[in-house]
Amino acid sequence: MILNTLLDNPDQILVNLFHQGAALLQACPALVIALGILLSTVPLVAIFPACFAITTWLERKGLARIQNRIGPNRAGWFGLLQPMADGIKMLLKEDIVPQTSDRLAHFLAPVLLLIPAFTVLSVLPFSRNMIPAAADTGVILFFALGSISTLPVFMAGWSSHNKYSLLGGMRAIAQMVSYEIPLVLSTVTVVMLTGSLNTVKIVEFQQVTHWIEGSNPALQILGQVLKWNVFTPWGFTGFLIFFISSLAEINRCPFDLPEADSEIVAGHLTEYSGFKYALFFMGEYVSAFAISGLAVTLFLGGWSGPNIRPWWSEDPRALLIPGFVWFFLKMFALILIMIWIRGTLPRLRVDHLMAFAWKFLMPLALINIFIAGAYYYLPHWIGWPAGLIVIYACYEGLGRINRRHLGPKRIYRYA
Amino acid sequence: MVTLQQYLILSAVLFSIGLLGALTRRHAIIVLVSIEIMLNAANLNFIAFWRFAPHPGNLHGVLFTLFSIAVAAAEAAVGLALVIAVYRFNKSPDLEKMNSLHE
Amino acid sequence: MNIAFYLLSALAVTGALLAIRLRNLVHATLCLMFFFISLAGMYVLLMAEFIAAVQILVYVGAVGILILFAIMLTHHITGATRERISSRGWLWGLGAALAVLFTVLLPVLLLSVLPAAPATPDFSPSVRNIGLSLMDPYTITLQVMGLLLTAALIGAVAVASTSVRPQDKPRT
Repeated sequence: MILNTLLDNPDQILVNLFHQGAALLQACPALVIALGILLSTVPLVAIFPACFAITTWLERKGLARIQNRIGPNRAGWFGLLQPMADGIKMLLKEDIVPQTSDRLAHFLAPVLLLIPAFTVLSVLPFSRNMIPAAADTGVILFFALGSISTLPVFMAGWSSHNKYSLLGGMRAIAQMVSYEIPLVLSTVTVVMLTGSLNTVKIVEFQQVTHWIEGSNPALQILGQVLKWNVFTPWGFTGFLIFFISSLAEINRCPFDLPEADSEIVAGHLTEYSGFKYALFFMGEYVSAFAISGLAVTLFLGGWSGPNIRPWWSEDPRALLIPGFVWFFLKMFALILIMIWIRGTLPRLRVDHLMAFAWKFLMPLALINIFIAGAYYYLPHWIGWPAGLIVIYACYEGLGRINRRHLGPKRIYRYA
Repeated sequence: MVTLQQYLILSAVLFSIGLLGALTRRHAIIVLVSIEIMLNAANLNFIAFWRFAPHPGNLHGVLFTLFSIAVAAAEAAVGLALVIAVYRFNKSPDLEKMNSLHE
Repeated sequence: MNIAFYLLSALAVTGALLAIRLRNLVHATLCLMFFFISLAGMYVLLMAEFIAAVQILVYVGAVGILILFAIMLTHHITGATRERISSRGWLWGLGAALAVLFTVLLPVLLLSVLPAAPATPDFSPSVRNIGLSLMDPYTITLQVMGLLLTAALIGAVAVASTSVRPQDKPRT
């Protein structure tokens, strides 16, 4: 019977498991609640560290190939056991804590970085009816909990009692706080046009419902793809601003000045060794997953992908390929783009970094809000080209205004 | 069930803790921290009264709290900027030393 | 429900007490952040999710970091210099605060008739109504708030900027 329900609607595996478990455990409501909580949180806690392991492998191989070398290939076939080897190494390393450091803050900082990273995953809809915490204020809860992660970065930098750590920590917080503004402003357009902060409604807004519930497979496929927010002028700009700001929020290249080896000896992470460093690393990657997940939800249509309804199913919203497959595919695509950018672009200097946030991205995000408003009220044949032209004009204008501070263009000649 | 009285007692205790900090500490930044504690206690009061009010569709409590948070943030920013400026002048954040407008 | 309230209130009171008593300023600020987060939890218990999110976003994410930066820039972290006032003054402060608590606040609370249970036991909080209220009766307040925040931003930058005029030489 379980297999039947699984095959009937492969999208809703966990939901069906919960309903069957609830039917079995009808006698004790506390156990039903416990089952619900377990089915929401255990997959998250199991899948995301596994994704973290896969991503470390992907990153090292990807960066290596971009840099014309091979990457780890000793620890198993194609180096696939390298994350396991890294984990064992981190666990067995000696945990060195500086003598004059602040013990409690030094110990708590990696833990406090992981808590918001995992908590914000609960407001992302992984598939239809599969969201761990369906809050009406999902998007703003994500940003609120994400903004807590500036605190452990400061704690790490200050508690190490090391001037490089402190300087790295201060720069990291300044960067994270500055880039929160374009991040949040670029999502205002999505929230404005959807009319809700609820992530489930935002994903439903990006699907053409009457095409999906119809009977024409071509329309079913198109209906899940055409209305994504990224295919509108304000959505495209918003997505780019969001993506760039998210790179800065998680301290990744090209914004990784706070933790760059050649600049500041790993910045706020200098005095962390062994497992605590692994926890910081994991916190950074899980934050990357979370923020890519939010980008997918807000701009790339969430869990919708080119799907058709299985012909044996009576549920009008059943999907052949489950929604969470598309969600993870899109999320990994964004992670791959982040790895690609890391291998390709040079690091930004700290004053360029701050100028980029305050003088370029923030005005562009504000103008994007105006464009979104105009797009809503004007008919499509004016709104589309007008939006594109105005955004491109602002991009060029802001670029020219900011170009004065950059100095003359350098010409490189290779030997 | 938690009664309104328990929320209000909590908010009164938090307010008096903030008051204690503002009256006894000598470091300017801790006094600002105590003022933030007092403002937060008052916000808790507003939200508790809004929740227990007969018409929770009447959103005055929530909106007042929103504006109170915004004002508190603005005041913290300006207050801390002032503390930094006075520190640069007096080389000390001690409130006992900030007792003259001009040297 | 009750357990959550007692836990959060214990955390809030402890955080506030430690925030004003600890000598090490950075520890005091971290306790203040725990206080803010426990108050945000209390707002969620009171069905005001949006205010809880705004509380964390503004207080923990911004005001807390601002206080930490100010502490860094004023350098008196560990309290090596005596920055608490002498014990006679400390007792007067405690007395005044306890007097306010026990003669003004608590009698009013304990003697007034307050509803014991919320009038509408369960309703789902909606952000839409907050947005509509901000646009309809509270438009001017919203604009004034924007002006206030802009003025505070400009003022804070102007006050804390490092251009020292010749007549403001620091006292030694």
